[in-house]
Amino acid sequence: MRNKIVFYLNGKRREEGPEKASMMLAEYLRYDQALTGTKIVCAEGDCGACSVLRYFPHIKQGIDTDNYLPINSCITLVAQLDGSSLVTVDALKKNNELHESQRAMVECHGSQCGFCTPGFVVALTGLVEEKIAKQEKNLSAQDAKNCMTGNLCRCTGYQPIINAALSIDIEKCESIKERFFTEHQHLELKKAFLQSVALESPEFSFFAPKTMKDALDFLKANPETKIVASGTDLGVVHNKRKIQLTKLLSLHLVEDLYEIKKSGNEISLGARVTITEFRHFIKAMVPEFATYIDVFASPQIKNIATIVGNIANASPIGDTPPAFLALNANVEVASLNGEREIPLNQFFLAYRTINIHPGEIITRLKFDLPRKQSILRFIKVSNRKDLDISAVNLAINLEWKDQAKKQIGEIIIAAGGVAATPLRFLRTEEFLKKNPLTIANLDLAIKELHSEFNPISDVRASSSYRHVVIENHFRRFLCEVGGLE
Amino acid sequence: MSLPHDYAHTHVCGESEFVDDRPLMRNELFADVFYSTQAHALIKTMDFTEVLKMPKVVAVYTGKDFHNNMWGTIFRDQPILAIDKVQYAGEGIAVIIAETLEAAQRAKSKVIIEYTDLEPILSISAARKAKSFIIDARKIERGDVDGVMKSAPHTLEGEIVMQGHDHFYLESQVSIAYPLEDGQIEIHSSSQHPTETQHVVAHALGIADKDVICQVKRMGGGFGGKESQAAPFAAMAALAAHKLKRPVRICLTKDDDMIMTGKRNPFENEYKVGFDSEGRILAMDVKLFSDSGAYADLSTSIMERAMLHSDNSYFVANMRVVGQVCKTNYHSHTAFRGFGGPKGVATIEKIIEEMAHFLKKDPVELRKINLYSDTNDRNTTHYGQVVQNNCLEKLVTGLEKNCHYKKRRQEIELYNKDNNEFVRGLSLTTVKFGISFTTRFLNQANALVVVHNDGTLQIATGATEMGQGVNARISEMVTKEFGLPRSAARVMPTRTDKNANTSPTAASSGTDLNGGAALLATRKIKKRLSELALKLLDIHKEKWASKTAGLGTQPEVHLDSANLDENDPNLGAEWKSGLATYFEIQFEDGWVFHPKHLDKKIEFKYLVLEAYLNRVSLSDYAFYKIPGIEFNKLTGQGNAFLYFTQGAACSEVSLNRDTGEVKVLRTDILMDLGRCVNEDLDIGQISGAFVQGLGWVTTENLFYNEQGYLLSHAPSTYKIPNVQDTPREFNIELLENDENYSNVRGTKAVGEPPLLLAVSAWTAINNALTYLPRYKAQYPEIRIPATSENVLRAIHPDKFKAWESP
Repeated sequence: MRNKIVFYLNGKRREEGPEKASMMLAEYLRYDQALTGTKIVCAEGDCGACSVLRYFPHIKQGIDTDNYLPINSCITLVAQLDGSSLVTVDALKKNNELHESQRAMVECHGSQCGFCTPGFVVALTGLVEEKIAKQEKNLSAQDAKNCMTGNLCRCTGYQPIINAALSIDIEKCESIKERFFTEHQHLELKKAFLQSVALESPEFSFFAPKTMKDALDFLKANPETKIVASGTDLGVVHNKRKIQLTKLLSLHLVEDLYEIKKSGNEISLGARVTITEFRHFIKAMVPEFATYIDVFASPQIKNIATIVGNIANASPIGDTPPAFLALNANVEVASLNGEREIPLNQFFLAYRTINIHPGEIITRLKFDLPRKQSILRFIKVSNRKDLDISAVNLAINLEWKDQAKKQIGEIIIAAGGVAATPLRFLRTEEFLKKNPLTIANLDLAIKELHSEFNPISDVRASSSYRHVVIENHFRRFLCEVGGLE
Repeated sequence: MSLPHDYAHTHVCGESEFVDDRPLMRNELFADVFYSTQAHALIKTMDFTEVLKMPKVVAVYTGKDFHNNMWGTIFRDQPILAIDKVQYAGEGIAVIIAETLEAAQRAKSKVIIEYTDLEPILSISAARKAKSFIIDARKIERGDVDGVMKSAPHTLEGEIVMQGHDHFYLESQVSIAYPLEDGQIEIHSSSQHPTETQHVVAHALGIADKDVICQVKRMGGGFGGKESQAAPFAAMAALAAHKLKRPVRICLTKDDDMIMTGKRNPFENEYKVGFDSEGRILAMDVKLFSDSGAYADLSTSIMERAMLHSDNSYFVANMRVVGQVCKTNYHSHTAFRGFGGPKGVATIEKIIEEMAHFLKKDPVELRKINLYSDTNDRNTTHYGQVVQNNCLEKLVTGLEKNCHYKKRRQEIELYNKDNNEFVRGLSLTTVKFGISFTTRFLNQANALVVVHNDGTLQIATGATEMGQGVNARISEMVTKEFGLPRSAARVMPTRTDKNANTSPTAASSGTDLNGGAALLATRKIKKRLSELALKLLDIHKEKWASKTAGLGTQPEVHLDSANLDENDPNLGAEWKSGLATYFEIQFEDGWVFHPKHLDKKIEFKYLVLEAYLNRVSLSDYAFYKIPGIEFNKLTGQGNAFLYFTQGAACSEVSLNRDTGEVKVLRTDILMDLGRCVNEDLDIGQISGAFVQGLGWVTTENLFYNEQGYLLSHAPSTYKIPNVQDTPREFNIELLENDENYSNVRGTKAVGEPPLLLAVSAWTAINNALTYLPRYKAQYPEIRIPATSENVLRAIHPDKFKAWESP
């Protein structure tokens, strides 16, 4: 058992107890470590100015993620860095020589006021790392844009930054991993990873067990404890509502939970699987899902946020719940009494309320890969296409019984942003299964669909907009698959 | 390739110091502002007992603690902290001082306050009804508007609604106040106007200007939002520092910044236009109504610029513009890149699109026949200024050709016929932006240039650096004059003890004004150095002061060069190179020489040393004022501007018919920037301003509750353009123009004008809508911003109505 968390910061070992582990990483860097290159702007993971590179070397999910990845330091607790290696913008320069991504930003005028610049440099450096790992020498404009989706700039109009990215010569770049992640560091972090952590002070306690059993025992003894996955939501709550996170249980040392299992047709995602990892995994099998995830949050968020966290959060505008509802997923929870599975469509009870009992912890999300004949559509509509929270999202999974006769065999329609929870349109599904898909029936189905939801008007969209958009997408999908005009 | 920004190499390492990056002093305190949640209310009771009981809280101050609680740039009408009455949600009421920022923030929730709500005014129409105005309406008028309107073959009437626009500078408002000995205060602020910050602080504390220094090293973006509104936050920090004799830091969270500070003024303009069948505008009658928010701030000047830009690039023989600033209960709106310009320009660009739609002609043809021309009868603005150095026709025809406008128009027509999922639109708009402050006295600047003994330079001006590269441009101008690389000079942080009585870095004028002054100061030194170099030609090197001054064996070189007292930074300079030459002495590549005595080249740094030893001053200060500006705000007539920056943009958009989502497929920009000091920095200003404007006309939606409290107060809800939102194809070119004789080195200002070109994306959205059957006859009505929801509402008004009828 350790009473300090351990991580490496720009190549140097750091051990911190509860006082500093309870700080947000960005604040720790700026005010405790005097590393002021990292900036704080939004404090909610929406601008990327606080980006740092983080490597968690214990889990290998493949070449795409086994590296330093950009994350938002403003909503990450220092405690969550336990076992990680961190590199900040302040350390990228070597012997007074700029890193290639920094040189490119200077020469291509990618920096004006300079406040967002460190975050962009970190995002670009992350892309360079990925390219080096994959031994890819070329970098496209789309690569550049995708890696910078989590960074906002108000000065340049982005074009000079895109030009900077395109001017990077990958072959000239030294790998950050090779430079910072020494064998010694690796061994030290491995050693730390073998031991559970307990930080204890009147203001902040943080427990990270090695096994589920210990976690469940702890939860039973400390029922008021919050389980923190990536904290991308808790961090925002902490920053914005000034609510101090006091008692946390983290499962980051439980190795099983990082597992992505595929047995036959069934996919099982451990509670610690990140969205980025899931995207890479699912890309070949369900490309629609991967594309859908591309407009989910930012790379910085996806690199740390978990799929299970997105489900457990139960936000009515979460992006993955409708998709997993459409895939008939099940949630697996563990307690001291054993394990049970809950169908996802019975999981969301009310606004941000989920169907689990005290003492239970979500361990996995399970779903069957869609069958060959399944026709999927995942849609996200937001005021801004990328890095925005959905106004509405919609997932449909349809299988024909007899396409010639326009008989639908199975259909699941799920949406977010339309009710207090992610919503299944059960009556509309039933109607479509019972009636052939004709123009007249489509109109009736749309009527039914509208009758199943009554969305609110808020900062993201009006109730009417939500109705109209859901209708338009629903109609277009069914017209397309049904060959209706 | 142009030189990079002068601090780009430290920006990319995170080494550039912003105010909140300054190391904490041992006894430093933090401030946080408690503000109103009500739009309009009397403060019935206020109790800070619980606040003061919170751990680490040191003090709470209210408006009563200031010596003078009122401030304001044009009218001193705004309390720094509201005392008895709040006039907008977000108005500061108290400032809480604590040992840590967190402690101050947490204590905020412990304030007990009771309000008596008053009726708020939360729209321009409500303000008009209540006659809630800042000052009387102003008018600019020429010709017989009513008569010509009556006889015009066609008339159209309409209105255009433009919402506000948050600056979204990445670095929020921030100040640190350091108390110095003997009651002095040193302020480090993120401010576009250090002089005003200094004056507001001194006035608020009741101390003399001499006892307040304001320093601005750089800002993490400004865009107008830190022109006036940086000052009150500096005053809050200064108050606490002054009272507690400890440094005090105030650094707003993004949320509080967005809730408290003002935005681009919303406008609701009404227009009537009379035109002939060719599409020539005969008469135009425009009424502009702006929302100032609760206080005047800069809103009257902003309105003035809107009125002065209601013609944009088009000659309107009979024109009347009336501007009325309405007082409401929102945060006090303020300067934002373009000032009033975009609101005047969007109005007439919409009018032209609508006229073309009515006449079934291509809008570009209408633009061409309405442009200002060089003929005497069509070259004077409605306020009586002749449009000189007019490049408008070249810009429009050049861009039309470069971007294949006609071919793409045909392609779009075909595309729209076949596609039921997307509809595309194309539009080409122009800008003619007047450069100068419309308030004459602001068009002045001063600069200090110091040459050190080793031949390197420090430059100090009133310009503030916010990313635009003003310092890079100034140092390039100065070092070029001395034949030195830019790296030989450093532009120092802007400080009111070096450069006093400066104007804000605003109105795109930073380089014009401060570069002009710096160049004038440089010339004074250069003239002396030239005379010295000339004289040294006749003196044997062994007798130069560097060899003899120690012993004083040689007479000192005496210079006749009087100080240059001229105000023209182009005077004495050769036009092509922009360089002045005195006594035929040349300054090149670090060397100084007479062309006839090339064997006697002197290294610049050696000449400098020689100058020092001959007791020749190596520093100089100069003052510069923009000549020829005479504009009478009451008659609305005169030469408001030194010159015009002009440009044109063509944007193609695609609208998703299911969701209303807008994608800008391509934008081409052609601009006239005269002769650039640094072309790449200028192009960076164009892409940045355009995309910022694109946000204003598309996704940036300020969403308030029924108390006028901003709910979209963070990037999670307020969507500025993301890297994926830039035009998929984005081409920027500059027009060659070597003839802007009136400005320093023949350059033209670039900061604001390209923002107005983003109007092309909005008119393109309108244009796309006109391809829908619904808008064959009737012109679409869509506001700025054309958010997905607003666009979808225009595409399917009936579907929306179904959900909105009770």
